[in-house]
Amino acid sequence: MFIRRRTLLAASAATAIAPPALAQNYPRRAVQLVVAFPAGGSTDVGARILAGLAEKDFGQPITVVNKGGAGGQIGFTEIARARPDGYTLGFLNLPGMNTITLDPERKAVFTIDSFIPIVNQVLDPGFIWVKGDSPYKTLAELTDAAKKNPGKISACTTGILSDDHLAILMVQEATGAEFRIVHFDGGAQQLTGVLGGHVDVAFDNVGSVFKRVGTEIRGLAVTDVVRSKFLPQVPCTKELGLTTVISSSTRGVGAPKGTPADICKVVETAFLKAINSPEMKEKMDAVGLALKPMVGAEYAKYYTDLQAQAKKYTEWALKMR
Amino acid sequence: MESLSHLLSGFAAALSWYYLAYALAGCVLGTLIGVLPGLGPAAGTAILIPLTFNLDATGAIIMLSAIYYGAMYGGTITSVLINVPGEAASVVTCIDGHAMARQGRAGSALGIAAIGSFVGGVLATVALVVVAMPLATLALKFGPAEFFALMVAGLCLVVGLAGKNIVAALLMTVIGLLFAMIGLDPVRGAPRFTFGMEELFDGIGFVPVVMGLFGVAELLLAAEKRQARMIEAELKNWLPTGQEVRDCVGPIGRGTVVGFVLGLIPGVGAIVPTFMAYVIEKRVSKTPERFGKGAIEGVASAETANNAYANAAMVPLLALGIPSSPTIAVLMGAFIINGITPGPFLFQEQPALVWTVIASFFVGNALLLILNLPLVGLWAKLLKIPFSYMCVGVLIFCVIGAYGLKQSLFDVWVMLGFGIIGYLLRKLDFPIAPAILALILGPMMEKSLRTTLEISGGSFAIFLDRPVALALLAIPVIVIAFLLFKPRSLDKLRESDID
Repeated sequence: MFIRRRTLLAASAATAIAPPALAQNYPRRAVQLVVAFPAGGSTDVGARILAGLAEKDFGQPITVVNKGGAGGQIGFTEIARARPDGYTLGFLNLPGMNTITLDPERKAVFTIDSFIPIVNQVLDPGFIWVKGDSPYKTLAELTDAAKKNPGKISACTTGILSDDHLAILMVQEATGAEFRIVHFDGGAQQLTGVLGGHVDVAFDNVGSVFKRVGTEIRGLAVTDVVRSKFLPQVPCTKELGLTTVISSSTRGVGAPKGTPADICKVVETAFLKAINSPEMKEKMDAVGLALKPMVGAEYAKYYTDLQAQAKKYTEWALKMR
Repeated sequence: MESLSHLLSGFAAALSWYYLAYALAGCVLGTLIGVLPGLGPAAGTAILIPLTFNLDATGAIIMLSAIYYGAMYGGTITSVLINVPGEAASVVTCIDGHAMARQGRAGSALGIAAIGSFVGGVLATVALVVVAMPLATLALKFGPAEFFALMVAGLCLVVGLAGKNIVAALLMTVIGLLFAMIGLDPVRGAPRFTFGMEELFDGIGFVPVVMGLFGVAELLLAAEKRQARMIEAELKNWLPTGQEVRDCVGPIGRGTVVGFVLGLIPGVGAIVPTFMAYVIEKRVSKTPERFGKGAIEGVASAETANNAYANAAMVPLLALGIPSSPTIAVLMGAFIINGITPGPFLFQEQPALVWTVIASFFVGNALLLILNLPLVGLWAKLLKIPFSYMCVGVLIFCVIGAYGLKQSLFDVWVMLGFGIIGYLLRKLDFPIAPAILALILGPMMEKSLRTTLEISGGSFAIFLDRPVALALLAIPVIVIAFLLFKPRSLDKLRESDID
């Protein structure tokens, strides 16, 4: 006991006299990059590619730590509660993070202001698809049918209050269609559900299924302002006139509130360089994840705009349940 | 034939030095787990998951599967030599295996067990190659309604097969389902029974619970027992005689069929096929009175069925994504941790991985035959390590393993807590397996039921419209009816055969 107390005292004394973390000596040791989803998921894949490439310029190892569970809530809590010294960074998943803070039942201990968005990496647009032999050839045919027979056509998401769930609500709002919403646990279940003929249409993301589009899967629309480079044959919602149906899974690196600005700048520089590198593009193309580098004011604006958009649809979803 | 060409390329990969080394490491570790009393395959596999974090997915799965069936082999050694089953499925092996050891025929018993396990394992894997892909295609027809029905049938079978303890098994199943409710509601997303603890939002970690109930609890039980004396057997004659092998051809063949068929049904568990194969041999035999007194056919049939079952249980996992036993559930966890979702699309999306893993089952079974036949004496020596040392070592490993899963101390407490619960339940003679299976199937069951109702717009009539789901739901009804009207004769049959 005595020894332990002495060590503790010594340790706290050491922290007390340690100089504040300044940018000129940051980073001095390995940095943790918290991913709020399990290893192997698409956030994790992107994070590991990023960590591997950014390490070189960063000068210190970047360790990806998976803290999956509860739709990201466990990992986001961990990032929000970490010491703001630049040694814990984390992936911010939008709009998954927003909807957690907006649903009072989730009792989240963080808000979106608990994080400083530093640099965005991926914007994986939403993707609406049906089975290859489905009667619906276009999004308009689908929404017309869902308008004529409200609640008869089933549409599945990859989880409650996920970006896909919000996308369904956006389509319903824009077209007057009414779907029967089915929540699955992820992409694999969606695939079985729709290809097995149990559900009519999937609201998904480009990255999860782009390789299957063709005979197996018919793409109806990508919920973005431009077409996806992975699916050039599929129209985007903007060109279909659905300008309010813009949804994606977007993720980038952030730090807990209170992290010094000069440290954030060091992170931004190293990570942005990695995101813009040709190796990054090559690796991300292989997995179907579209890069969307954003920093500074642009990212900050995206971050707050998305919160406003998510708020509207989350409240709507909460009213429906 | 497509399967065959895939399998051949799988072999090419599985036989590379890299994967061969992992298969070997897994077989050695698995045998070790099987030999150490108190550590079954479920807890053992769970503890060793963190070891595979730094491997590629294929290597990790190869190693963990090797640990799984390695433990199935290893359990035999303690059954024969000290009359303590190294894992539950070896209980039946004790009956004749230990009797043989007392007659100085331990070598023959271990030899035939290894040969039977090899044949059963290899033949079951051949059948897996034939069955798995067509089943995966068929699995698309399996919607949430059918999954729900299949899981209900599985849980009912667990209860129905619990023998005399049906009420206790039912109780344990319900408790398992209750624990499965902890965490975020799968449809509303609201926390249930979490008491505001975020660690509980994702439910109680299944792997720490298994480690606690099976690992820690077993250690506690073993610690209070006086250690059984080991039979110092002449292990030089580890090959059974020609006559013994001829006697065992039939039992090994029948054991394979029984093990494989029962392995396809979720919820049956490893103990039923071994027991059933044993009973069949006793019925078929011209000299049933030898059973229980050192009949080599008893050892051969039970061990063969055990391993055929272990390999067949991979079929529902790979083709449907449904774990049929606690150990398989742990393996499924390992798949998911490594970013692989077992299920109908696995064969399409990761053919290289699946077929390499399947080829490694053959390789692993061959490695185990080598490890077990000539080296059995080495394993037997392990039993001489004082239990007090071994117990502490294993417990340390459990704690590290539980922490390593998510770098969370909470999981360590869960493991220790469930260790104590498991100890008490075992003392009170409550079966553990139904609770574990309910805990793993519970969330999947709830999710598929609620998805079914989302699809049908809230109408339960959907179960009547779907013939497969309806047929599956009929199984529990039949089981319950059978239990209500036939319990006495069933119990009589069990007692007369096991004594």
